[in-house]
Amino acid sequence: MAKPQQKDARRNVRTALACASLVAGMVGLAYASVPLYKLFCQVTGLGGTPGIEAAAPEQATDIDFTVRFDANINPTLPWTFKPVQRAVNLKLGEEGLAFYTATNNSDHPITGTATFNVTPLKIGQYFVKIDCFCFTEQTLQPGETVDMPVTFYVDPEIRQDRSTEEVTTITLSYTFYPKKSETDGQVSALKQKSTPVDIGG
Amino acid sequence: MANAADAHAHDDHGDHYPGFFSRWFCSTNHKDIGTVYMFVSMFAALVGGGMSWFMRLELAEPGLQYLTGGAPDMQFYNVLLTAHGFLMVFFVVMPALIGGFGNWFVPLMIGAPDMAFPRMNNISLWLLIAGLALLLISAFVGSGVGTGWTVYPPLSSSIYHPGAAVDFGILSLHLAGASSILGAINFIVTIFNMRAPGMTLHKMPLFVWSILVTAFLLLLALPVLAGALTMLLTDRNFGTAFFDPAAGGDPVLWQHLFWFFGHPEVYIIILPAFGLISQIVSTFSKKPVFGYLGMAYAMVAIGVVGFVVWAHHMYTVGLDVDTRAYFTAATLVIAVPTGVKIFSWLATMWGGSIEFKTPMLYAFGFIFLFVMGGVTGVTLANSSADLVFHDTYFVVAHFHYVMAIAAIFAMFAGWYYWIGKMSGKQYNETLGKIQFWMFFVGVNILFFPQHFAGLAGMPRRIPDYPDAYAGWNYVSSVGALITAVGTMLFFWILYRTYAAGTKAEQNPWGEGATTLEWHVPSPAPFHTFEDQPDMSGKQPAE
Repeated sequence: MAKPQQKDARRNVRTALACASLVAGMVGLAYASVPLYKLFCQVTGLGGTPGIEAAAPEQATDIDFTVRFDANINPTLPWTFKPVQRAVNLKLGEEGLAFYTATNNSDHPITGTATFNVTPLKIGQYFVKIDCFCFTEQTLQPGETVDMPVTFYVDPEIRQDRSTEEVTTITLSYTFYPKKSETDGQVSALKQKSTPVDIGG
Repeated sequence: MANAADAHAHDDHGDHYPGFFSRWFCSTNHKDIGTVYMFVSMFAALVGGGMSWFMRLELAEPGLQYLTGGAPDMQFYNVLLTAHGFLMVFFVVMPALIGGFGNWFVPLMIGAPDMAFPRMNNISLWLLIAGLALLLISAFVGSGVGTGWTVYPPLSSSIYHPGAAVDFGILSLHLAGASSILGAINFIVTIFNMRAPGMTLHKMPLFVWSILVTAFLLLLALPVLAGALTMLLTDRNFGTAFFDPAAGGDPVLWQHLFWFFGHPEVYIIILPAFGLISQIVSTFSKKPVFGYLGMAYAMVAIGVVGFVVWAHHMYTVGLDVDTRAYFTAATLVIAVPTGVKIFSWLATMWGGSIEFKTPMLYAFGFIFLFVMGGVTGVTLANSSADLVFHDTYFVVAHFHYVMAIAAIFAMFAGWYYWIGKMSGKQYNETLGKIQFWMFFVGVNILFFPQHFAGLAGMPRRIPDYPDAYAGWNYVSSVGALITAVGTMLFFWILYRTYAAGTKAEQNPWGEGATTLEWHVPSPAPFHTFEDQPDMSGKQPAE
């Protein structure tokens, strides 16, 4: 009897280990889902995640469109942060430029980063950023005020999609939050050159 | 575990029972562990049920009557409904159907001497009890856990729930989850490796099939919950920002992770009930189950499809129309294997010599309630309709019918069906039938009017409501009272059965009861099937 029992026990342990590795795999998958979810949002524009391109299309359309600007701040970041202009009017496919202004109200340099999205959430894939202060970290000296640019365009394809064709206004929203470990970064966005087009309104 | 040596010793003595402490606190015997699971479940049911009756009492009339301890305490109501959900899902239904009946009858039905890992079985039990203790403690820490069982951030974040209560709740779920994962591994190993010779997978009783599928769902779903809960824990305490949008996180990610676990979880609850009802319908119709293989694979299909429908709980978070169309379609697909099951139960009864004993009444009740909840489920699966119904009492009525009360009916059915085998004493049939009718009438008066309140727009999770909803809420609370009396009657029957029940026969149900547990004496001896029965050449057990 001893031998077959030992064989059974080994088989049981093997099955149990297979189950345990399944459990470990699912825990790993749960954590892997965090970057995967981010990636998925970037690829599909899910949840109002804008796309990123190097330049606007050559040919702008003559369809009018409005982009509005919104600014939020993490309560733990002692900055003032607001858009310079409430909204810009531009044509679909045309490159737009807007500025946000931020002031460090504290007595020490602080580095922050901004997250962003657009509403309505469904048009994420048609709102494209060319350059943005939110791509990098921003460091503000005590009392320093900076204007931070964002260049973008709205993909004319938005009119071809039945689920988004009625949208004429997009709101671009930022939330600034402090970087966990303070570093002496540069306000890189300010040093980048951008080629603004004429912004109506 | 201090008595592991002791436990080992009594393995060698046929039917010699260990002392009280060793037997019930250090048990490695699947039947004793099953019994303790049942009693833990009953205790938690009284606590969780008591909370729901208090909520119905408060909701019986508009205005605040009982929550007023000086100032109205709305958070206390949130704590009650949260604890009610946690208790019922993790500490009542799962311990009873999986831990209780699963432990008792899976080894018996497949002709195995015990579970594959008896000591791990004991750890599962005590992790669950520790989890229950943590959950009860969380209600007395700070302002308690008032997040709802879904624990959505930011409500569950440290901004809105400072203090340690939510952390206690998270650790409680971690322990309950670990308990279930260990239990699931035990079931899978037992069912795969320890079946009697000749009992192929396609001859296993459907209850064993249901536990097998459930165990796989547990293995795949619970680690995701554990991962998400750990992220929430570190968000709250260690400065991560998985779910904080003001620091680069996304609260909707929590909802995706939670419902990736949460939707399979409702099948984890209801699949063992399916298996149990199949055994009972077959027994009391005195016919084998109609479409045995279809029944088994319908459960597999429900389990598989259950993993790709989670976002139907999230239609209002801003998913685009194509995503919602997919989740609507995928959700509706679940109605197909579910329909196979309902059809096969009815076809099993068709032309059978049906005996209306209490377990069969409860099986009928289960099918009725499940179909009722299934119909509203198909309604809610449509995202366009759900945008209107979301977070109303219509949803409350739906999931209480389809999952909560249906599962409770299956638990009652199983208890009446197997109590003779478990205790050796038979319950009083007349009292059992009275208890069924009280409970059946009670829960329908309790939950059916909630459809009307929900369609009229009454929101979930509120202790007070406009006067317009007063009428149906009063009716609903009367139903809760009837249900409460029915529950008390059950505990009286339980007491009478142990105190003065007639001696149960080996097989009290006659020719319809063909599974292996009816081939051992009642009560089932401490050790059974040490020599495995030869099942080769036999028909499928059900």
